[in-house]
Amino acid sequence: MWPSIQYYCPCMSATNGQTPSPPPPTLASSSASFHPLHNLYFCEECDIVRCNRCVSVEVSGYYCPNCLFEVPSASVRAEKNRCARNCFSCPICRSTLSVVASDPPDDGDGRPSVSLSNVGEAPYFLYCNHCRWDSAGVDITFEKPTGLAAQLQKFEDSAPESLEFERLKEHFEPFLRTSSLSSSSHLPAVSSHHLHTSSATAAASAALAREIPGVGKHNPLGRSRAGRDRTANKDEMPEYKSRVEAGVFSQLGGGGDDVDVELLKHMETVEEVAKLDQRWGNSWAASLRSSDLRPHRIPLHSKVSKRCPACRHILIKPEQKAQSVRYKIKLVAANYLPAITVGFPQTQATRRVTSKAPSSGADGKNGVMQSGTSNPFQLALTNPLYDPIQVRLSPQRVADARSYQVSLPTTPFSIAAFAEAWEYDDDEDMFGVEDDELGIGDVGRGTRDKEARGRLKNVGVLERRANVTTVGGEVNIKPGFRGNVKFNMLVTYTYRSDDPLPSEDGAGTPSRSTKPPEVKTFSFYTVIDLGPSVVPKDDKLDAES
Amino acid sequence: MDAPVYYSKTEFIETDTGNKVSRRATIAGPQNIILGGKTIISSGAIIRGDLRRTGPGHAVVISLGRYCLVGDGCIMRPPYKTYRGNFNYYPMKIGDHVHIGAGTVVEAATIGNHVVVGKNCIIGKFTIIKDCAQVADNTVIPPNTVIPALALFAGSPGRFVEDLPESTQEMVEAQTKQYYTRFQPLDR
Repeated sequence: MWPSIQYYCPCMSATNGQTPSPPPPTLASSSASFHPLHNLYFCEECDIVRCNRCVSVEVSGYYCPNCLFEVPSASVRAEKNRCARNCFSCPICRSTLSVVASDPPDDGDGRPSVSLSNVGEAPYFLYCNHCRWDSAGVDITFEKPTGLAAQLQKFEDSAPESLEFERLKEHFEPFLRTSSLSSSSHLPAVSSHHLHTSSATAAASAALAREIPGVGKHNPLGRSRAGRDRTANKDEMPEYKSRVEAGVFSQLGGGGDDVDVELLKHMETVEEVAKLDQRWGNSWAASLRSSDLRPHRIPLHSKVSKRCPACRHILIKPEQKAQSVRYKIKLVAANYLPAITVGFPQTQATRRVTSKAPSSGADGKNGVMQSGTSNPFQLALTNPLYDPIQVRLSPQRVADARSYQVSLPTTPFSIAAFAEAWEYDDDEDMFGVEDDELGIGDVGRGTRDKEARGRLKNVGVLERRANVTTVGGEVNIKPGFRGNVKFNMLVTYTYRSDDPLPSEDGAGTPSRSTKPPEVKTFSFYTVIDLGPSVVPKDDKLDAES
Repeated sequence: MDAPVYYSKTEFIETDTGNKVSRRATIAGPQNIILGGKTIISSGAIIRGDLRRTGPGHAVVISLGRYCLVGDGCIMRPPYKTYRGNFNYYPMKIGDHVHIGAGTVVEAATIGNHVVVGKNCIIGKFTIIKDCAQVADNTVIPPNTVIPALALFAGSPGRFVEDLPESTQEMVEAQTKQYYTRFQPLDR
């Protein structure tokens, strides 16, 4: 769990041109604005981080999660978004059902005596490998082991509820068509939605008033003018005549008050009543008994492409094949922002202190810090870019001065470029090779700065290896503080821009005159959670005495 | 940054291709098992390469790709069924960058690349796990289940929970490589 770092997506904050600042990290509601780096996207056009909450999503293909068949979108609606082949989920436990031949599997030793989905004796039925439910118990058997969904869909479509629903759709369709036509012709687009809902509501309430005596007819303009409006409303619907009376449905399903009471009277185990999630997809009037549940065709899944909500550029575009994990377009934040991992100095440090009394930072390895101590921590920043970057970390001030203070190196430091070759280097050799780089550049300067100021020796650049730079920080927890040590941190980095277009400004601010002009800066917020801080027992006594 | 995972140098055998196999693991029928390289078999694991398809000739029973990890006390057993009256075992194929948590029992038919299976799971017979899928800790996957690509499954029985992020492949690859690097011998 701890320590952890999450990245901020500004989509939840009101923007007024400035870089929006994140909410205080200690609020529980802030978690909605922070995401793991790998869940974020990056829009190159807008130069901004995007998250799953703010991208616009469109379906690029449907597939069955069980047989992995790619369903053409034309037939998805006709098949009611479910697999139309041989995939069913168990009504009891929702795991996948197998088609078995008539001879039931002998589960005495866990070995089916008749091969699953093999040519066997008709009739065939569905069998759950997890809870041993079988469809023969609800009188569903098949003459052929293929095309089962079509056979089941026939039942589904002839159910009174779905017939009624089809009729309702038919009934409303001409009305919706005319209202959308009329609204598009002479009304602004905004009010068409309003008109559409209000007249649909009116129609529904008319039906409701007829079914249930005592329910007044809904009128958005007020009761007193109802009579006049009725004549004025040219969108008035023809009355819908239900094929079945509303009350009849409950009898169809075998449910209803008396039947349910009778069922509960004779119930022996709780499992006899179907749970809400087992009945969720059924109509309200279905029976409560779990023995009446029917197998479901498996709902389809979809592959989605994602777009930037502002500029509509595509951020994610999957390959057509359903089970491919490759993408034609994939603009993820991990390829743009440095990846940061948080840790406590371990191994050598902890090994060294084992002989001594476990003091201050030694407890950090469990993620539990003690109040009244200063605890070193480390941030390892990995550069994903092919050019070196300069990074500056600026932790936000913690609002409550009595809680804790965070110290991090304030001077910018560099992270070497990412090079493909390092990936293929055989791993252990990597450690030695880069050591000679350690002496140069900012490291020396950084440490000298620190020493000159006589500040914390844990703070500063600790290690530089390949495209990873590790910096040390320290958190000073005030005595008596209890709770998670959590702070926001602004990360600003400058990088060499690929496109030298001067017209594209925005974040393009040449930061230094010594550098070539195509240097851009980008900054983003993160939240770092170093885990809980506890008040040590002896400290508590000290404080009391 | 992450701390190395130390193991006792005497416990593990390292092969030419960088596989690290614990002497405390039970490897039955090693001639029927293929390790792709840089794969770690932890102590207490049981790999049943002896449960081979009946019939003459050489048969690969279990094949693992590169950068895999078989956790402590895992049981890897090829799936079996009776087909047309004949009882038989079927091969198990596991891709690259697959981590299997401690105490998990695997009887899957196929596991793709970049798959992470949690601790104490049961992966039922003939399960097919596609690329970049993940199975949470303590999940029971019933036999014949198919886990689609980039899906997270959890629970008993294991069910679809959510779609994994698009960058799962890179994450798992980095993670498995890093684990292999961290897995270091310690003389003691």
